[in-house]
Amino acid sequence: MQIIATELSYIYNKKSKFATTALNKVSLQIKEGDFLGIIGHTGSGKSTFVQHLNALLRATSGNLQIGEMNLSAAVKKINYTALRSKIGLVFQYPEYQLFADSVANDVVFALKNFQQEMSKEEKERAVREAIEIVGLDYESIKDKSPFELSGGQKRRVAIAGVLISKPEILILDEPAAGLDPNGKLAIMELLHKLHKSWCKTIIIISHDMDEIAENCNTVAVFHHGQVLRSGSPKEVFQETELLQSLGLDIPTTAKLVLQLKKQNIDVDCDLTMKDFVGKIQEKLQQNKRGALC
Amino acid sequence: MLNDITFGQYYPITSFVHNMDARAKILLSIAMIVAIFLADNFYGLLLVTGFTLFMILVAKLPLFRVLRSLKMILFITIFMTIFTVLFGSKNDAVIAKWWIFVITYQGIVNALFLVLRLILLVVATSVLTLTTTPVALTDAIESLLTPLKWIKFPVHAFAMIMSIALRMIPTLIEETNKIIAAQKARGANFEKGGLIQKAKAMIPVLVPLLVNAFHRSEELANAMDARCYSGSKKRTKYKKLVFTYRDILAVVFVAGLITGIVLLNKPQFANMEILRQILHLFKVQVSW
Repeated sequence: MQIIATELSYIYNKKSKFATTALNKVSLQIKEGDFLGIIGHTGSGKSTFVQHLNALLRATSGNLQIGEMNLSAAVKKINYTALRSKIGLVFQYPEYQLFADSVANDVVFALKNFQQEMSKEEKERAVREAIEIVGLDYESIKDKSPFELSGGQKRRVAIAGVLISKPEILILDEPAAGLDPNGKLAIMELLHKLHKSWCKTIIIISHDMDEIAENCNTVAVFHHGQVLRSGSPKEVFQETELLQSLGLDIPTTAKLVLQLKKQNIDVDCDLTMKDFVGKIQEKLQQNKRGALC
Repeated sequence: MLNDITFGQYYPITSFVHNMDARAKILLSIAMIVAIFLADNFYGLLLVTGFTLFMILVAKLPLFRVLRSLKMILFITIFMTIFTVLFGSKNDAVIAKWWIFVITYQGIVNALFLVLRLILLVVATSVLTLTTTPVALTDAIESLLTPLKWIKFPVHAFAMIMSIALRMIPTLIEETNKIIAAQKARGANFEKGGLIQKAKAMIPVLVPLLVNAFHRSEELANAMDARCYSGSKKRTKYKKLVFTYRDILAVVFVAGLITGIVLLNKPQFANMEILRQILHLFKVQVSW
């Protein structure tokens, strides 16, 4: 499913004197199969934008087309169940939304809402699949209370609770926030595993530029409710000055490329660490050969 | 979903009334309530009404905002009016009679009195809550309850609990909205079904909300402990409550109001001749 937003606007507290424009004519295309990273300052409209994608918020004006579904401001009637089962949204700190007495009961919640006619066995199988894909052991964890798990485990369970409806598009608001480095890595690995196997499109909001450069194939920069730039990480992170003026950082690899450029060494990489190291090795080998000649 | 709940309806502007000492405002509100009940004829009530309008004017509050607080007493007002009008005493001049219902002049007058008093009560007290922040209110209550310390009542702890509770209400509302959004994203439906089904649908919201609230209170307790908070020691205040010329002026005004009412309660004002005649006129027109 492709997402096409055109001139999407959203105003909080419309009709009151506290009205604030959270989205100001946002136009953005997200192709099927994209791994999109959304960056921007706090209050730039990132979270507001992603909440439009499964109709938790409805646009004040503008058009939004997701696959066959039209979520434009003018459309009144929406099949929320169909939409929300196709588009999974994992909020920030999702572990604070666990509620059931056991992990299995919590994970199955969405399925109970979306597919009431499913048999018990099918549901159980789906729960097992969802818990296993997030890297937890089904048998040992299913009957535990979600409140006795560790922080990282809780987050996995919460993500499993969204994944269970097999969404085509998965949106995560700062999925790695507040985790230790190992936990962060594991979450990003999980997203890689999910991408193109379970979920065709993945959208993440993140403040960690390394995370974005490492994982995403497109980046969108939000600022004051507008999309300032969008494109591949390489294109977007070239604009160091613009990003810095917005108070945003650039990834480590981009910094290294910049430093090398000052030394007159051009490295043309896609800003993932792996590609960067590869290109450097190539350069070194070329230099060696050059020295030999 | 919960955005329309206004608790602690403070209206953030500055005015003469906003700048008054919260203690003075509480005491004068009580005096206003006394004044409302003291007035036993329409002239007195009219005077209180005028004074209340004057108060709203001085506080620079928009009238519709003040009147909005009347919404909550709408039903009780209508209910009481109907009962007072329909069940008059048979000893008075009867206008109409049917089955057990008796409508009398006195009944109508009583109903008008009742409604006016109720409206004035709510409006006068909402001027207090509209012009005073919840924090200032609790500070003032703590200060006013000081005498209870002599009988070992933990006034400070009581005020602290109150102000923390008030402080947490917006936080909890925000969190509730977040959890509702998250569960909606997982397909929860809060509008479907009857009362029981709706109540059941709230479980996925209430459980995390409670769990988080306990977490938060534990963290807060630890943070307070880490800063050696102790309610028993004599603590200083960040915002001190001070009586100023404003409060003295307000006291003079309210004292004037009460004197005026006491004077108006004198017998020469007490008979309702004018009103009786107006009602008479009304009745003539109706029967015609």
